Parts: sequence; structure tokens; C-alpha cells
Amino acid sequence: MTTYAKSTGRRFWFRPQWAAALVALVIALLVPLYLQIHSPYWLHVLIVAYFYAILASSWSLLAGYAGQFSFGHMAFMAIGAYTTGLIGRLVRLTTAPTGMCAEIPLPGRDLWLVFINTVGDNCLELGKVNMPAGTLIYRPPILSGIILGALIAGLAGLAIGALVLRFKAAYLALFTIAFSEILRTLIRGEPQITRGDHGLRVAPLFPQTISRVPDYYTMLAILVASLLFMYWLASSRVGLFLRAIREDEEAAAARGVDVVRYKVLTFVITSMLAGLAGAFFAHYITILSPNIIVLPQMGLVIAMAIIGGVESLAAAAIGGMIIQISLELLREFEAWRLVIFGALLILTLRFARNGLLAPLLQRLSGTVPRAESREEASQAELGEEVGA
Amino acid sequence: MELELRDVSKHFGGIQALNGVSLRLSGSQLVGLIGPNGSGKTTLVNTISGIYKPDDGEIILNGEEIGRLKANEVTRRGVGRTFQVTRAFRRMTVMENMLVPALAVPSDRGHREIKERAREILSFLTIDHLRNDYARSLSGGQQKLLELGQLLMTDPDLLLLDEPFAGVHPKLMETIFEYITTVHAQGKSFIIISHDMSSIFTLSQRLVVLHYGDIIADGPPDIVKEDPAVIEAYLGEDEDD
Repeated sequence: MTTYAKSTGRRFWFRPQWAAALVALVIALLVPLYLQIHSPYWLHVLIVAYFYAILASSWSLLAGYAGQFSFGHMAFMAIGAYTTGLIGRLVRLTTAPTGMCAEIPLPGRDLWLVFINTVGDNCLELGKVNMPAGTLIYRPPILSGIILGALIAGLAGLAIGALVLRFKAAYLALFTIAFSEILRTLIRGEPQITRGDHGLRVAPLFPQTISRVPDYYTMLAILVASLLFMYWLASSRVGLFLRAIREDEEAAAARGVDVVRYKVLTFVITSMLAGLAGAFFAHYITILSPNIIVLPQMGLVIAMAIIGGVESLAAAAIGGMIIQISLELLREFEAWRLVIFGALLILTLRFARNGLLAPLLQRLSGTVPRAESREEASQAELGEEVGA
Repeated sequence: MELELRDVSKHFGGIQALNGVSLRLSGSQLVGLIGPNGSGKTTLVNTISGIYKPDDGEIILNGEEIGRLKANEVTRRGVGRTFQVTRAFRRMTVMENMLVPALAVPSDRGHREIKERAREILSFLTIDHLRNDYARSLSGGQQKLLELGQLLMTDPDLLLLDEPFAGVHPKLMETIFEYITTVHAQGKSFIIISHDMSSIFTLSQRLVVLHYGDIIADGPPDIVKEDPAVIEAYLGEDEDD
């Protein structure tokens, strides 16, 4: 892969940031061996922390790299979650037609895709009377629901990305807040489909065990894969263009960058990642309610990314994990813990625009830009030349 | 390179920024575009470069109508431009700034070749030693040089420079002069907006004068500067000052 990010010139496995990431990964892989025996609850906390790390880092790609300050990220997460949840609730595969439900024969196979109605008597139950003996009825594979969840979130990202192309700053934020609230209202307002505030039951990903270890490793794998993918993207020409768009859309276009294409692409990719995380999380927590997209949840993800460092994927991810873990550690402080994090967010915005962790990671990786006093040095040099 | 503007108009609300401007550039020309503040110079450059779409008229580049194209599509057709106030990507390094246009506009160059070309251009512009610095740490003049360097990465046939000499240290101004004359000698065309009369009269082969969105004079600098309409509209103001 050709990378265009600043490089230290060393082979990547010798770079301190990769060595640190490798050590962190080994620790993350070993942690369940201890926690599953001594504190399964903390295993749960880590799974949730990884979930937020995916959301915070993918939001940082959208906001920190591409400059698209969206409040709709949790809505895309919810689209992924509800897609897989609704597929589990309302879609079945049968070896014979029901004759009562809306159904599609799958080409080349003796299978029907059956959509269960949400109003009136259950068409599948009614259809069983007409179905031949030995007809098999399956739930679609959970993996297909998760993949579809990510894809539909990506499609929603495409639509929203195209709609908000010309919106900037506050307008983009307001539009995406409105989108998020409309989605939440729809989920609440259609309980016959989504079960609304009663909650939508979702099948667990690993029903054969009560251990959280398989869920832990799955969420960790999604986090690592997401981060690697986003790093690849950010260090490719796409990342370079996104940063140019963030700096100045008009100037980027004047330099030949297809601003529309890359802005929409970023919305699609980050929405898919949020949808993927949401779809898996739905199968982990096994119940969904509209509360997953209330505005404070989005605020939490933004706070995680900003406190970590919104222009660094790793810093945003670590910020997400640290804050989620800290929220658990400070649980005894009840509402005050939120006040503490609110204050921390304000202080970060005021005094550390690049977050609290990103500068540390920059130092670790040796990618700190040369001191800005260089400007003065070059001016002095120029002055000497002129003087001479 | 053939550029033709046919009756190009652009208005913003009640202000007619360009009023049926027609202009033709052929081959390698060095055109100075002057006029009082608000005469429509930057609007004209923005309209040619695709930042604005003309309300009326056509812009034909090498036989193709480009007036409805997006800015990036115009750039890909060989038009490069700088901005009045420099718009380098401030939180990106100088080298990254150079790579953006090189990678955005398709070419046969490989990664190594692109970087070598970038360093060659930066050396020519005397800012190669700053290649790993963030653009925001550069002085205003150095940022202007960086923008000029970005243009060369896409090898454009037509370069539109908006106030390249404004606020630039005399030493850097020499570099910009050398840049323009060297690149022009390679067969490239320029349209240069400038309020720096001595520079623009020295450099230009042809001067176009805009006044309230109309071209009031177009010809060799020596003749244009004697034009009574120009003196009244623009040069006269300086004399009064």
C-alpha cells in the first residue's frame, strides 16, 4: 500500500506506535483469561468500551479527518442494530410457501423468503396449516442480519451524505440532529414493527453459552478490523483528500479533489462502521429500545472522541474506552460523574483542541510537527539574506 | 491552449459582477487583469476556474464548454488557480499540500516520481527545507510560494494567479517573478490579477482592464495605460491618491 501520511522512515513494525499497539492487543487478548473467572462484569464493561471505541473512532474519521460534524452517528448505529433485530423478528426462510405472507422464492433453491406481518393475525402461523408436512422454517442467519445492518446503515449514510453536501458546521449538526430525532420518533411511533419503548428482543450471537468471552473477542475483532481499515484509508490518498476537504473545501476542489465524492464516501464508510458495531451490539445486549439514540448518547460519543483527540483514530478509540471504563469506576458518584466529564470536555475544547491523548500518541510515534517557531527562524534567515 | 469567454455574466443579488464579458486567449500568453476594487476580477477568475457558475454566456476551453463543470473537473482539464488570500491546507505539511493536487489529478507518474517532482518544485521555489513543516507555520509569502508550487504539480496549461505579489517580501517577490517567467517560457498561459502596477506592467504582454463587470480596455500594456477610460476608471485614482 502506498501511504501518504508523514512517515518516520522506519519499517512499520519498528515504529513505537505499532509496537505499543501490538502490546495493547496482546493484553486485550489475554484479559478475558483473568476476567472471566474473577470479574465477568468487567468483561461486559470492556465489550461496551470497545463498542464505544468503534463509534468514537469512526466519528473521528468523519469529523476529525473530513470535517463533517455530524450528530447522526448513533442513528446509523441504530439503523444497523434495528435492521438485524427486525430481520430476526419479521423474516423467515421456509422450504414451502406459506400462501399467507408476503414472500419471495429464492432463485435456484427451494427456499422462500417470508415476511411476517405486523398487523392482525400472524400470517406464518396461519400459513402453517397450508404448508406440507415436513416444511422447515428457519430464522435467517444472524451474520446475514449483521451484514445487512451494516449495508443499510451505509445506504442511509449515502442518502444523508448526499443531502447534507452543502451544509456546514451548525447546519450540518442541526440537520443530523433532526434526522436522528426523526428516526427515534419513528421507532417509538411504530411499536407494532419495532416494539417501541417495550424493546425489541434480539437473538444472542452465541446462544449456546452464557460466557461473555466469545462476545468479547468478536467485539475486539470488529474494533481492530475497523481501526486497521480506517488507518489504511486515512494513510491513503483518500485520507489526504479528506484532510484537504476539512481544511478548505473550495481550495481542495480547486486542486482537483472531487469534494462531493469523498464527502459522500466518508459518510457511507463511517455509517457502515457504526451500523456494523450497532448490529453486533444488538445481538450482545439482546434488547433494543429507542433510548440508544437519545441525544446524550451522541454527546457521549462526541465527548469520547474530542477528549481523546478527534483528529487521531487511535486517540478517539482510546478516549472512548477510557471514558466508558471511567464512567463505571465513578458509578458511585451517580450524576456527578457526568458533570465531571462535561467539565473535562469543556476544558479540553478550551485548552487542548487536539484532545488529551492525541499529543501523547504523536510524541510516541515521532510525528510531532516541527515547532511553529520555524516560521520565525525562516523569517530571520530571510532577513539576513536581504540584509546581506 | 485556447480559452474563449463568450458574453459571460455573473450577478450576486443586485450586484452585476460580470456584465457580458468576452475574452479570447490563444497559445502561450501572459495576461494581466487589472481594475479597481469590486470591478469583477476575482469573480472572473472564480468563474473560469469553476468555483462560480456563470449566469449567462459560455466558457470554452480547447473547444469544450467548461462553464458548467465543477472546480475539480476544470482543474483536471488543465486550469490551475491561486487565491487572493492564500488557501494552503494549513494543518497539513508542505509536502502533503503538494501531493494533494498531484494525486487528485490523474497522471502516469508513480509515487516516487510524484515526490521527486514535488521536491524539485519546492527547491525551485526555495522552500524545500520546509517540506515537513505544517503549512500554517509558513509565512504569508511562503504560503503563496506553496500555492504556486501546488499548481505545477498538475502541470496546467492555464494558470490563474490572484494577487500573487500582495503582501509578499521583496525577496520572495523575486522568486515569484522568476516562477512566472520560467513557467511562461515553458509554453504556459497566465492570467494574473494584481494591484501591483509596476509588476503587472513589467510582466504582462497584454492587459485587460475590468470596470464594474465590463472590459473597458484590452491590449498591450503601453497602449492600455494611455487609454483615457482606464486612466479615469483606475489609474487616475492612483494619481489622485
